[in-house]
Amino acid sequence: MNFVLIFLITIFSLSLFFYGRSKTKSISIEKNIKLKALPKFYGYYLVLWCSIPALVFLLVWSLFEPIIIKTIIIETAANQGAIFDDKNEANLIYEKIKAIHLGTYFGDIDSILKESALSYAKFINLFTNSKVVLIFGIIISSVIYALNKIKNNNKARDDVERILKGLLFVSSLIAILTTLGIIFSLLFESIKFFSVINVFDYLFGTNWSPQRAFVRDASSITAEEYEDLKDAFGFIPLIAGTSFIAFIAMLVAVPVGLFSGIYMAEYASSKVRKFSKPIIEILAGIPTVVYGFFAALTVGPFFRQFGESLGLTVSSESALAAGLIMGIMIIPYVSSLSDDVINSVPQSLRDGSYAVGATKSETIKQVVIPAALPGIIGSVLLAVSRAIGETMIVVMAAGLAANLTINPLESTTTITTQIVMILVGDQEFDSPKTQSAFALGLTLFIATLILNYIAQRAVKKYREKYD
Amino acid sequence: MNNIKIKSKNLNVYYGEKQALYDVNLDLNEKEVTALIGPSGCGKSTFIRCINRMNDVIDICKVTGNIEMDGIEINDKDLDVVSLRERVGMVFQKPNPFPKSIYDNVSYGPKIHGKGESKNELDEIVEHSLKKAALWEEVKDRLEEPGTSLSGGQQQRLCIARAISVNPEVILMDEPCSALDPIATAKIEELIDELKKTYTIVIVTHSMAQAVRVSQKTGFFHLGKLIEVGKTEKIFKNPDNKMTQDYITGRFG
Repeated sequence: MNFVLIFLITIFSLSLFFYGRSKTKSISIEKNIKLKALPKFYGYYLVLWCSIPALVFLLVWSLFEPIIIKTIIIETAANQGAIFDDKNEANLIYEKIKAIHLGTYFGDIDSILKESALSYAKFINLFTNSKVVLIFGIIISSVIYALNKIKNNNKARDDVERILKGLLFVSSLIAILTTLGIIFSLLFESIKFFSVINVFDYLFGTNWSPQRAFVRDASSITAEEYEDLKDAFGFIPLIAGTSFIAFIAMLVAVPVGLFSGIYMAEYASSKVRKFSKPIIEILAGIPTVVYGFFAALTVGPFFRQFGESLGLTVSSESALAAGLIMGIMIIPYVSSLSDDVINSVPQSLRDGSYAVGATKSETIKQVVIPAALPGIIGSVLLAVSRAIGETMIVVMAAGLAANLTINPLESTTTITTQIVMILVGDQEFDSPKTQSAFALGLTLFIATLILNYIAQRAVKKYREKYD
Repeated sequence: MNNIKIKSKNLNVYYGEKQALYDVNLDLNEKEVTALIGPSGCGKSTFIRCINRMNDVIDICKVTGNIEMDGIEINDKDLDVVSLRERVGMVFQKPNPFPKSIYDNVSYGPKIHGKGESKNELDEIVEHSLKKAALWEEVKDRLEEPGTSLSGGQQQRLCIARAISVNPEVILMDEPCSALDPIATAKIEELIDELKKTYTIVIVTHSMAQAVRVSQKTGFFHLGKLIEVGKTEKIFKNPDNKMTQDYITGRFG
C-alpha cells in the first residue's frame, strides 16, 4: 500500500512540474506580464509542495500506526478478560493476534483471541483507509495553495531555494544526529562497564581474559569477586598487540607506498601513470576478508614452514603474517595520497632547484619531499588509523590469544578482534564481559579520533602554504 | 666592445608538432645586460631556457641547431647539465624560494656542488651571495626564518642570491619583476646594474622602460623569430625594422 502511495505521489508531482511550467508561461503571455522567475521554477515549486507534505505525513503515520494499533488491541483484549502479567506476555498475545489475522497461527484459538483478531482486522482497515483519504486531502490542499501562489506570480525562485536549503539542512542534521547517537550509546555502555571495573585496572592491567569473568549478579559484586574480575580486563595486551601489528603494517606500507607515490608523481610518464595508478588502487578495493584468506591460508603457513626449516618455532597465526598483509592492503592509501600531495608541489620549486644544477633525485629529496612533508605525514596518519581499525585480517591471521609479546612470530590479538570475539554469539547484556566491548570501542574511537585530528591538521597546514 | 660569451646559430625549438623558435642567431656579450622583448608567446623565454638546458625538463621539447658558450656546444647530448647550470644561473618570473630557511635557500646550491665543506666556508658563501643580492642588511639577523616569510621583492632578491651562490658566469632572468611592485622593481634593476660588472646577464621583460633602463643590447622577438637585435639605444630610438618600430611604440603586442 505504501509503495503504491509513494508511486502515485511521485507520478502526480512530476506531471505537476510540466503543468506548472506551461501554465505560468501561458499566464505570462496572456496577461503580458514579466514572470518573477523562470517558468521551470514554478514547476519545481509545485513538485515540492505536492510531494513533501504528503511524504512527511506518510512517514510520520507509518511510524506511529503500529504503536497506536498495538495499544488499542492490547487494551481491548484486556477488557475482554485476557490475562497477562507483564509487558512481554502482552507482546506475545499481540503477536498471536497478528498471526491469526495473517492466517499463520496454528495453536489453539480461544474466543478472546478470535474477537481481538477480528477487531485487529477492523482497525487495520480503518487506519489504511483514513491514511489514503488524509494523504489525498493533504495533496489537494497543498497543491491548491501552491497553484494560488503561482497565479499571483510569487517569487517561486526564492521559495524553491528556501525549501531546498531546508532539505539539505535536514540531511546534514540526520548525519550529525546519527554520529552523536553512536557516540552516546558507546559512552553509556562504557560508563556501565567502568562502574564495575575500575578505569585504572582496565587501562593498566596486563592480562586480558574476559571469558573468565563470570558474575552471578552484576549489580552487587563482592570484593572477593572483584579481585578476580579486575585481572580479566587488562587493556595493555590489546593496545600492545594493536600497535605491534599496525607497526609491522606501516613498516611495509610506508616505504612501498611512499616510493611508489614518488615514482608515480615524478618519474612515470603519463601513459604508465594512467594504467598503473588504477591497478594500485584496485588493492584498496579488495575486500579485507579476501586479504584475510590470503594471510591465513598462504602467508601464515609459508612463514611457519620457512621458520621451521630454520629451526624456529612459528605459530601458524602470527603477528608477522597479519601485519604484512595489512601493510599491503594499506599501500594504496599511502601511495595515492602522497602522489596527490607531491603533485601539488608547484613546478616552480623544482625549476628553482634544477636551475642551480641539482639532479632529479636531489631535487626530490631536498625540495619536493620537504615541501610535501606535512601532507605525507597526514596520509601516513590516515593509514595508521586505518590499520588500527582493521579487524578481518587480524581475526583470520593473527589469532585470538591476548599475548603480551614482541615476538612477531607468535600470535597476538587486537582491540577490534576482541570486540568481535566478545559480541559473537549469545550474550548477556548486563555482564561486564559484554560491556567491555563498548569500553574497547570507545577507547579505539578516541584513539582514531586523535590520529585523524592530527592528520587533518597536518594536511591543512600544508594547504595553507601553497594555495 | 666586450667579448662574445654566448653565441646561437640557427637555433630551432619544437614543442611536439609546434615550432617555437625559428633559426635564431643571437650573440650575447660578456658582462653586459641583454634584454629580450616581444609579445607574449614569441619565444623569448624559450630562448633563454635553451642556455641552461631547462627545456630538458619538458618531455616533448626538442632543440636543434647550435648554441655555444665560450666555444663549447651547449646543445650537446653528452654535455654535463649539472656543471652547465653551475655556470648559468636562472631567476624566474615568480619568486620561488624553497620552503626552507633563508640560510638553507642560499646554501642549497653550494652544497649540491660540494662547495663549502666547513660551516665557515658556507657561512661566507651565504653572506657574500646575500650581500651581492643587496639583501644581507635586511636578513642578517633572521637567517633561520623561512624564505617564504619575506616580502615578494625580498623573495626575488633571495632567489637572485640563490643563483649567485654557485658563482655562475651567466644569469638568466625570466621577467624577474613582473610579480613585483614598482619599488621592489627599482631595487632589482639597481641590483642588475651592479651585477653586470661580474656577470653576463640576459633578461626577458615585457616592460620597454625596463629594457631601456637596464640593458646595453636588445633583441626583439616575434612569433618565434628574432626580428632585430642591436644596441638598446638604437633599437628604441631608430630601429631598422618596421615591426620593431610598431612594437616599441605600442602599436601591437
